[in-house]
Amino acid sequence: MKKLKVLAGACLLLLGCGRFSNKDEKQEHTERIVCISKQYSEIIYALNAQDNIVAVDVSSTYPPEIKKLPTVGYHRALSAEAILAMNPTLILQDNNIGPEHVVKQLNDLKIPMKNFGKYQNTIPGTDSLIREMGAYFHKEQRADSLCMKLEKDMKTALESAKQYTDSTKVLIIHFGQASNIYLVMTKKSTAAKMIEWAGGKMAVNDEKGMKQISPEIVAASDPDVILLTDFGYDRLGGSPEKIKELPGVASTKAYANKRIYRIEEHDMVYIGPRTGENVLNLQKLIHQSGKTP
Amino acid sequence: MEKHRRQYRGIPLILLLLLVVVTLLSIRYGAVQISVNEIFSSLRKYFTTPGTMTLNERIFMEIRLPRAILCLLVGASLAVGGVLMQALFRNPIVEPGLVGTSSGAAFGAALYFVMGATFKFNAGEWTLPFAACAGGILSTSLVFTLSQSKQTGKSSIVALLLTGIAINALFMSGVGFLSYIARDPQARSITFWNLGTLSGANWHSVIIIGISTVMCIAVALKYSKHLNALMIGEEEAGYLGINIKRLKLIVLLINVIMVAVATAFVGVISFIGLIVPHLLRILHGSDNRSLIRNGVLMGGILLSSADLTARMLLKPAELPIGIVTSVIGVPVFIILLRKKNYFF
Amino acid sequence: MLSAKNITYKVGGKTLLDNISVDFEEGNLNLIIGPNGAGKSTLIKIICSQIKPESGAVHYAGKNIAATSLSELAQIRSVLSQNIELAFPLTVKEVVMMGRYPHYDGKPGQKDEAACQEAMDFFDVSAMADRNYMTLSGGEKQRVHFARVIAQIWCPVTGSNRYLILDEPLTFLDVHYQFDFMHKITTLLKSKDIVVIGVVHDLNLAARFADKIILLNNGKLLASGNKNEVLTKENITTAYRLEPVIHREKEKMYLFFG
Repeated sequence: MKKLKVLAGACLLLLGCGRFSNKDEKQEHTERIVCISKQYSEIIYALNAQDNIVAVDVSSTYPPEIKKLPTVGYHRALSAEAILAMNPTLILQDNNIGPEHVVKQLNDLKIPMKNFGKYQNTIPGTDSLIREMGAYFHKEQRADSLCMKLEKDMKTALESAKQYTDSTKVLIIHFGQASNIYLVMTKKSTAAKMIEWAGGKMAVNDEKGMKQISPEIVAASDPDVILLTDFGYDRLGGSPEKIKELPGVASTKAYANKRIYRIEEHDMVYIGPRTGENVLNLQKLIHQSGKTP
Repeated sequence: MEKHRRQYRGIPLILLLLLVVVTLLSIRYGAVQISVNEIFSSLRKYFTTPGTMTLNERIFMEIRLPRAILCLLVGASLAVGGVLMQALFRNPIVEPGLVGTSSGAAFGAALYFVMGATFKFNAGEWTLPFAACAGGILSTSLVFTLSQSKQTGKSSIVALLLTGIAINALFMSGVGFLSYIARDPQARSITFWNLGTLSGANWHSVIIIGISTVMCIAVALKYSKHLNALMIGEEEAGYLGINIKRLKLIVLLINVIMVAVATAFVGVISFIGLIVPHLLRILHGSDNRSLIRNGVLMGGILLSSADLTARMLLKPAELPIGIVTSVIGVPVFIILLRKKNYFF
Repeated sequence: MLSAKNITYKVGGKTLLDNISVDFEEGNLNLIIGPNGAGKSTLIKIICSQIKPESGAVHYAGKNIAATSLSELAQIRSVLSQNIELAFPLTVKEVVMMGRYPHYDGKPGQKDEAACQEAMDFFDVSAMADRNYMTLSGGEKQRVHFARVIAQIWCPVTGSNRYLILDEPLTFLDVHYQFDFMHKITTLLKSKDIVVIGVVHDLNLAARFADKIILLNNGKLLASGNKNEVLTKENITTAYRLEPVIHREKEKMYLFFG
C-alpha cells in the first residue's frame, strides 16, 4: 500500500540522518541565516560566505562540512517551529518549499524570507545567479573567480567531449526518498544537460524530469551505461546481484558490459560552481568501457 | 462485572486530569523554547496590546496554542466517530474510514492539489477543506446508496461493510492515480498529507473544526440511547420504538461531517477511532453515553500525546502523526484481539 | 383486543399467509401453534408491524397499526423475538432497562427505575443485576429478556390495552422454567387489559395454559378456539401428519405421540 511505502520512506529518511541532533555552534551570531536550497547552499560555501548560515535543509549535502550544521528537515515537509527554533534572521529558499501552510505561517509571523532571481537552468543563467549571490554577500571578487572557473572548465569539458565520437546512451536511476521508489531521469532533467555536455545521450524522454522506473522503460531505453545516484546505489550495497534486481536492468547492454557506476546526486541535479569539473569527470566515466564500479 | 459500577465513577475524572496534563505539556514543549512566563505574557498581550508581542509570544499564540486545541478537537472527533460506527455496525473492527469517508476526503484533497490551480472557483483557504468534505460526502453517499437492497430499501450492516471496502479501494486508487500524474512537488504534498499532520493548525481551522465537532457530538449524545438499543438487534430496536433507518442516516451523517472536516485539515489519521472505544469498553462496559463522553476525553489525550511525540522525538524535525498513531495503535489492537475474556 | 383481518402475505410468488382472520382478546393467553413453515412467525411479525401484509389489516383496539408510529406502538406493545444476538458486555440491569427506552428521553425516571426493578423481581433475575450478560447460561439470558420485555409494558396505559407478543419464548428453558414462565404469564393476565399472543411448539403446554389456540397449517387458518375445538385428532393429524393419542383427565388434556 502506498501509505506504508511513504511511512517507511519517511522513517528511513528521518532516522537515517543523524543530522537532527547536530548542535548549533553559532548561537552568538547576530545574523542567523537558514538556507533551504541545496543549490544556494553549495554556492554560498563556494563564495566562502557561510559564516552566518546556522542551519540548512536535509538535501543540502555539498560540501561535506555542511553536514555538521543542524538541519530543519526535508524541504517539501517543513514545520514552522523547526525553522523558528533556529532563531533565523533570514530564510533563503528557491520557491520550492512546502507545505504551503508553513510558508504562510512564516509569512504571517513576518520572518524575512528571500529568494534570489529565477534564472534559466543553464551555464549563463547560473553565472548570473552566482554573481547576484556574490553581490548580496559582498563577495563579488570570489563570485567573479567562480564564474571564470566555471566558464573555463566548461570550455575544457566541451572541447574534450569532441574526442568521443560514439554517442553513449546513458540511463540515470535515482532513488526518491520521499516517495520511496526508484525513478529514472529524463531528457527534461538538469542531469540530461550534463550528459549532453559530456558527449552522451539521455536514454529516456518524458514530460516530467523524473519518472517511475519500469522494465519497459529500461528495455526501451537500451542504455550503454547506467548511472545510479548515491543514496540508491548505497542502498543496494553496490553489489551487482542487487543492482540486477532493479526492473529491466539485467537484460541491458550496460549490465552485460558491467558499465554501471555510482554518482553523487548533488553533482547532477543542479548547475553550480563545480559543474565544469563534474562534466569532465562524467565524460571520463561514461566513455570508459568494461570497468566494474 | 461488578467492578464496573465502582470503577466507573473514577474514570471521567482520571481522564480529565490526564487531559489537562497532556494539554499543558503540549503547550509548553516544542521545537522552539517558550518559557512559562512567555506563555502568560502572550495571553495577556493578545487581549490588550497585540502589537507589542515578541516573536516567541506570537509563535505561542499563532502556532503552538491552536495546535494543542486542534489535537483535542480532532482526537475527540475521531474517537467519537469510532464509537458511533462500532455501535451502528455492531462490530468492533470498524472505523469512521470504513464507510468511505476518509478515502473520499483524501481524494477530494488530492484533486485539489493536482487540479486546484486550474479551478476558476477558488475560495482561498477554504477550497481544500471544501474539496475534502465534498469527496467525503460523495464517497459515503455512494456506500450508503449502493448497499441498499432493492426490495426492502434497507441496507444491512454486512452490505454496508462490503460496499465500504469496495468504495474505499476505488477512491484510494483515485488518490494513487492523481499522485502519479501529478507534477513532483504536488505529489509529495499528497503523500505527506495522507499520513496526517497537525502542523497547519491555525485559529481558522480550530473554529471550523470546533463548531462541527461540538455540534455533532451533541447530536450523538442525544442518540446514545438509541445506539444502545441497537446492540440487541435491529429488529428488537424497532420494537423499542426506534426508527432504524432514520437513526442510521443521522449517525452516518454526523460521522461524515466530523471526520471529513477534520480530515480536510489534518489528513488521514488512523487508529484513534479504533482504539479509543475498545479501551473504554474494557474500562467501563458498552453504554454508549459513557463511551461518547469519555471518548471525547480519551481521544484528545491520545492524539495530543501522539502529536507531542511526533514533534519531540526527532526534534526539530516532525514525524507525520499517522506514523505515531500506527506504531501505538497496532500493538494495542493486537493485544485487544487476543484477550480471551473480552467478548464481542 | 387485537384483531387481524384478511391477512395475506406473499414472497417471491409463494403465499406464506392466505387470508387469515383472527381476534385476540385481552385478559386471554392466545397461543399460535402449527408445524414448521406454517407461517406462525410471519403472522407474528405482521401483528407486530415488523412487516406489512399484502392485503388485510391489523387493529389494536380498533386502531389500524399501519397508521400508528413506531414509538407509539412501543409504548403499548412489546415483543420477544426468536433469537436475540447480544454480543456486547452489558450488565443484566442495563439490558432490562432497555425495555424502558420507549418511555424516557435521556435519563430514566423514578417510574422507569421502579418498573425495571419490579420486572427483574418478577422473573427472578434481580440477584444477577450487576452481572455481565455474556457470562449467563442460555436459560438465564432468556429470563433477562423476559424481564426486559415485561418492563416495557409494566405500567398500565390509560385508555389502551397492553400487548405482549412472544415468538417461541420457551426454546432455552428447562421443563421447570417452562412451567414457571407459563404460570407467570397467567399471573400477568390478571390485569385484564393485557393481550398475550405467543407461538409455541409444545402442544401440551398449549392444552394446559391457553385460553385460545390458533392452529396454522400451510399459511392457512386450520382451526381456532379452545383446546377441545382445536386439538382434535383430525386437526392434529392433518397439520402434523402424525396421529395423536389424546388422554383426558378431568379438565386437563394430554397428547402423546408414538
